[in-house]
Amino acid sequence: MNITKQQKLISILGVGIAILSITRTITSNGDLTSAVTISQALGFAVPIGLAGLAGIWSERAGVVNIGLEGMMILGTFGAGWAGYQWGAWAGLVAGVVFGGLGGLLLAVASVSFGVDQIIAGTAINLLATGLTKFLAILLFTDAPGGGQAQSPPITGEIPTITINAIADPLIALHDKGLFFISDTAGLLSGLFFQLSLLTVITALLFIGTAWLLWRTRFGLRLRSAGENPWAADSLGVKVTTYKYMAVTISGLLAGLGGAYLSIASTIYRNGQTAGRGFIGLATMIFGNWRPGGTGAGAIMFGYIDTLRLIDSDNKNVRGLILIGALVVLLIAVFLLRSARRSTGIGFALLGAVLVGAFLVASNFPPEVAQVAPYITTLLVLATASQNLRPPAADGAPFRKGESH
Amino acid sequence: MLKGVKIASVLAAAALVLTGCSKSDNGAAATTAPATSAAPAVKVGMAYDQDGKGDGSFNDAAYAGLSKAQADLGVEIKEVNSGSSATDASRQELLTLLATDGYNPVIAVGFAYSTALAATAAQFPDTTFAIVDSVVDAPNVGSLVFAAEQGSYLVGVIAASASKTGHIGFIGGMEIDLIKAFEAGFDQGAKSVNPSIKIDSKYMGAAGDNTAWNVPDKAKAASAAMIGKGADVIYAAAGGSGLGMFQAIKEAGAGHWAIGVDSDQYNVPSLADYKDFILTSMLKRVDVAVYDVIKGVVDGAPLTGVQNFDLAKDGVGYSSSNPAVADFAAAADAAAAAIKDGTVTVATK
Repeated sequence: MNITKQQKLISILGVGIAILSITRTITSNGDLTSAVTISQALGFAVPIGLAGLAGIWSERAGVVNIGLEGMMILGTFGAGWAGYQWGAWAGLVAGVVFGGLGGLLLAVASVSFGVDQIIAGTAINLLATGLTKFLAILLFTDAPGGGQAQSPPITGEIPTITINAIADPLIALHDKGLFFISDTAGLLSGLFFQLSLLTVITALLFIGTAWLLWRTRFGLRLRSAGENPWAADSLGVKVTTYKYMAVTISGLLAGLGGAYLSIASTIYRNGQTAGRGFIGLATMIFGNWRPGGTGAGAIMFGYIDTLRLIDSDNKNVRGLILIGALVVLLIAVFLLRSARRSTGIGFALLGAVLVGAFLVASNFPPEVAQVAPYITTLLVLATASQNLRPPAADGAPFRKGESH
Repeated sequence: MLKGVKIASVLAAAALVLTGCSKSDNGAAATTAPATSAAPAVKVGMAYDQDGKGDGSFNDAAYAGLSKAQADLGVEIKEVNSGSSATDASRQELLTLLATDGYNPVIAVGFAYSTALAATAAQFPDTTFAIVDSVVDAPNVGSLVFAAEQGSYLVGVIAASASKTGHIGFIGGMEIDLIKAFEAGFDQGAKSVNPSIKIDSKYMGAAGDNTAWNVPDKAKAASAAMIGKGADVIYAAAGGSGLGMFQAIKEAGAGHWAIGVDSDQYNVPSLADYKDFILTSMLKRVDVAVYDVIKGVVDGAPLTGVQNFDLAKDGVGYSSSNPAVADFAAAADAAAAAIKDGTVTVATK
């Protein structure tokens, strides 16, 4: 029996909704699939997803981008600086440009001068942190409503879209609490409820990236620079140019992620990114250096973060534990059937521990949800490492004319 | 490759220099000579934590006390920031620098300085030190602590009186005892008005997670969720994250109230957009404490030991700059009187 990609996707979605549905029924917690949760989760997913997408662009061309966090910081600063003077859209553009400058710097350092990519990326993180703090003191201290560590409020906003005609009946259906149907309605309603235009743009960027990198000649050449630049070079691909383009686009996207944060918070503030560039890097690995998986990872991490934050009586974290347990057990079943016994048994044990924890404890510290992105990435790395396939020449220095 | 190493080191050096700038660049600019004074002026060294002034809250309150002392007492001042990647060692360097340069008193703003200040104070027994929000046990250190739970009790009374839904919320920054005292006082105050009131509570980060003070987007999500479940008054003690709570309250519209913290946030310029929704603020008079310390040194009677700024000393309180709070002032003032005369004891946990 051959399963097409579409059928596989639909069944994964179905199983996912079923798991959420089971958890919601057992814990009687409507939060898990409500419109507010989903719409907020998408909001949190945007900066993480953009950082992940930025990582894909850079690493697909063979440049490891540890500097994502720094480029995001530049983006938050640019958005704050331009945003308070000329409005949110100008802020968006400035954030993207500032991030792009960070990307260009990484390209100059690592592609032209062959600096170790990890070191160059780390330097960009340090540089962005220091530079923005310095500039904040310089530019914002005397601005009305600003301070040493934050910009004045950004004027104007990026519109959000709510389609009541679709959202309201779906929300009503969600509130009925029917198994599976209500949860599907709840998840869908989140897409039509207070959806930021930037979320839509982000989704389009994911689709556009998937198309550009995997369906066009440009994308093939760009990816060849990350898989085997020496072979690509011998065939006449301008590897250096492609690397430059990819890393700069990476910076632009990370800058957009940062700008989104500033605009959503209506100010720039030192330390606002709070490590989201690194979480983006983790989603990229989780997503196997591909847009689909990275997007799914970002939504998952956004969802987990939302559940932690909107949780007033600690019910959600408990729900998350059960969701985690069900997912882990499901993976265990697949692994055992596909004859990967030892890993399968490991997963089964982990699942059993999680189920046990769910049954025994009634209250979990919210920090469990905070570390979830990292634990998930570790689990993926530990178990799926045979299936993960980073670009073959990711991180390798390239000199034109050399052979390997 | 050698060329590459050079570039990397230049980049790293640039980053270090720029980070260094942000720590103390304003120090030089802020050093001002006193206008009139024959005797050598008292030199006050002030070390802020993280990024210092401009938070519209805690650090700005400390600065208010400092600038008042500058105007009234003619002292010379120098301000430094620890920066957000500060360690105990780097904080200690800052304090040592101030003490070596003859600044006396040296005031450290924030509990994060505890370890560094204890070490520095031992090295400079002739300098008077002060630390805000923490207790350092040394003969030359004044520990300026605030009965934040008492002030929070008052705004709890106001919140419960103002709430029409019988449901209020609390947003905390980092989940540490210092902030938990705000929540405990708030809860107790609210329950003294309405024993069956529902109080939601959420912290932005665990102890040690410095991002907790800088994530307004997360505070907004948490507040919006509380509002969605029926909360109509929210109190935030979360530093820069508190902005998100104001945004959520404003989006919820009339009938919802925000309660600010530390400074009188109704009058903070960067929060002017949210002014109409800020019912009151729990005032932590860091300005009073800082001023008192400086005045003590100027008068030759330095304040040392644990200085508890409570309601009785006007070290905490609530602001009445929004006229809307007048409806609840009687209840709050009665509660304040009860705390002062000892009828009510406010728990800190």
